[in-house]
Amino acid sequence: MNELLIIRNLTVKFYTYDGVVQALDNLDLDIKQEETFGLVGETGCGKTLTALSILRLISPPGRIESGSICFNIDDGDEPIDLLAIGEEEIRAIRGSKISMIFQEPSSALNPVYTIGDQVSEVILLHRRQELVNKAIETITALLAGRNSLVNILANPMRLAERSLYQKIAQNPHSLWPRIVGRIPIMRRLLQRLKDEAKKMAISMLKEVEIPDSERVAQQYPHQLSGGMEQRAVIAMALACSPSFLIADEPTTSLDVTIQDQILELLRRLKSERESSVLYITHDLGVAAQICDRIGVMYAGSLCEIARVDDLYANPLHPYTKALLAAVPKPGEEPHAIGGTVPDPLNLPSGCRFHPRCSRAIGMCREHVPPMHELASGHFIACHNYQGETGGSSC
Amino acid sequence: MELRAYIVRRLLLIIPVLFGVTLLIFGLLQLFSPVERAALYVTDPKQFANIAEVIEKYGLDQPVWVQYGHWITEIFQGNLGWSKVVSQPVTSAMLNFLPATLELAIFATPLIIFGGIFLGSKAAAHKDKAIDHATRLGAIVGWSLPTFWLGLMLLMVFYGLFSGLFPPERLSTEMNIVVHSEAFTQYTKLHIIDAILNGNGRVLLDSLRHLVLPVITLTVVNLAFIMRLMRSSMLEALGKGYILTARAKGLDENTVVSKHARRNALIPVLTVSGYIFAGLVNGVVITETIFNYKGLGWWAWQSAVNLDISGVLGFALFNGVLFVFTNLVVDLLYARIDPRVRLGGKVT
Repeated sequence: MNELLIIRNLTVKFYTYDGVVQALDNLDLDIKQEETFGLVGETGCGKTLTALSILRLISPPGRIESGSICFNIDDGDEPIDLLAIGEEEIRAIRGSKISMIFQEPSSALNPVYTIGDQVSEVILLHRRQELVNKAIETITALLAGRNSLVNILANPMRLAERSLYQKIAQNPHSLWPRIVGRIPIMRRLLQRLKDEAKKMAISMLKEVEIPDSERVAQQYPHQLSGGMEQRAVIAMALACSPSFLIADEPTTSLDVTIQDQILELLRRLKSERESSVLYITHDLGVAAQICDRIGVMYAGSLCEIARVDDLYANPLHPYTKALLAAVPKPGEEPHAIGGTVPDPLNLPSGCRFHPRCSRAIGMCREHVPPMHELASGHFIACHNYQGETGGSSC
Repeated sequence: MELRAYIVRRLLLIIPVLFGVTLLIFGLLQLFSPVERAALYVTDPKQFANIAEVIEKYGLDQPVWVQYGHWITEIFQGNLGWSKVVSQPVTSAMLNFLPATLELAIFATPLIIFGGIFLGSKAAAHKDKAIDHATRLGAIVGWSLPTFWLGLMLLMVFYGLFSGLFPPERLSTEMNIVVHSEAFTQYTKLHIIDAILNGNGRVLLDSLRHLVLPVITLTVVNLAFIMRLMRSSMLEALGKGYILTARAKGLDENTVVSKHARRNALIPVLTVSGYIFAGLVNGVVITETIFNYKGLGWWAWQSAVNLDISGVLGFALFNGVLFVFTNLVVDLLYARIDPRVRLGGKVT
């Protein structure tokens, strides 16, 4: 399988009043085609930041300092570096090739617009060509209709509409839609695009298993339950069939039964659309359910990457072990990880985990352990395993 | 339909509120002696000769509820008493002074509200950039300038130094004669509209010249307020999750700000805009006094310093009613902007 996304040396810093926070530290990560990669770790370890860096959505005082994120945009083409392209190009990718689902569906939806409006907005933005073609088809069908009085009266208008749409179809960057959109009476000519987008939005809502989707499209976010809101957010994210979907804790704010339904939905949509998913969660149980591979993050860097069965059966990094032991199991006392998450303004030297690590050795304090492949597909960054297998860093 | 229910509920709520307003004003009235209160029922200066008759007629020595009954009946008949400072009944004084104040409000309100919203959202969208610093500095300066000082300075420069470029008062003496002449029909008593309707360009130009300085004075202070409010409310909206969603959709920054953030940010600004409008319509005492611009504020100030009880109370009643109805309009606009108000539900 080819890599869809290759992140190298990604460093993100936050310039706060109290000092510079190194939020992501030389992060390396590969995501393969059609896989679900889980990113787990405690709150504040940089999971969401990694996702936002991919979309270049980090806002000040945060800044991407260095690194590259190579994205294989269409199979076979030269991959492009998302961090090197212009603002307009990254906007064309956001929402169409790479899209994102957020943690809180109730805050991810704008309270003052209907669900239908919000889903069709992304369709209008990225699938304009398709909409224009559909509109031309609809008008042509109307023009071919019977010679009734209504048709005779409406046809000149329809011809004008069709010629406008044909102009847009020939040259997607033409100024016509922008000019027409500015003139209040003329704006109605573009209504057909909105209607087509609304239809596509409704079929998208059907696809995410929202019952009565025509009615839901007319509703506002506050009229829906959390589960339905998250489905609408998923519909919005998948409306343009992205090849890469980032799901940032999409089930955390939902109750357990809804959580299962959403996970099932994501799994189905992902396999239907043959897309890759970066699934961010702090819930190891959820990660085990949905992911193919898992990366464990701690204080801005990855400490272990392995296939999901491998990671749960044979966790190697002391932090992964501690994290798994901290998961509450019936009839057992959970083992909380000793110590506290380090102050991001004042990260420990060497291995970030060494002050809390039971197996810390002398060199942990001085040197950052490099990531190396211990067994096939099992990567780890820990001095304890250094030299056991001489793999190179990934 | 929920919207209709909302409007009906909101309209019904007006009744007890207005009742409360009249009670409060009537309560104030009880602080005065019957003789002083009698002024409220006088419609003609001749009646002052036999005030005892008035006291008896309206039961001013009777229990409070009897008096309230008489008072409210008079109000419903449009009789608010005699304003001695302008030597005319309070109702006609109001009708005479309101157009002047309305003229100020018609120009100042859109400048304040739209200007404030525009500058505030620009500042928020370019936070910590040059435009943000400039507008914030402007807002602090504008907000801190005392109205009387700013008004006097403007008068000094534009009336004094530029020899009468923008004069005080409402009209020049000459145009005042034109307006009150037979040939000039006063349709609305708003000089600008009347001038247009009469096709008299000179009156139009003259009244516009007289409006410039008071409108600038009012705008500078209030615009600063709306702008600061809009900026902070916009910054809050820009930090919300749906803004990140909008950006992640691939929308350009302009659409994100003007479509997704602004509509949410407008909600608190709307409330304050309502109060500013109401404040402008019921007279701006300092500005009208400085520019000797005879509007409601000028009349209220004259009534207050001359202990013209019926004038002050009439003004207070107008004020209260105006605020109640402005609030109603604001609430209806809320419902227009925010579906959570319209359809009922959680407002976060």
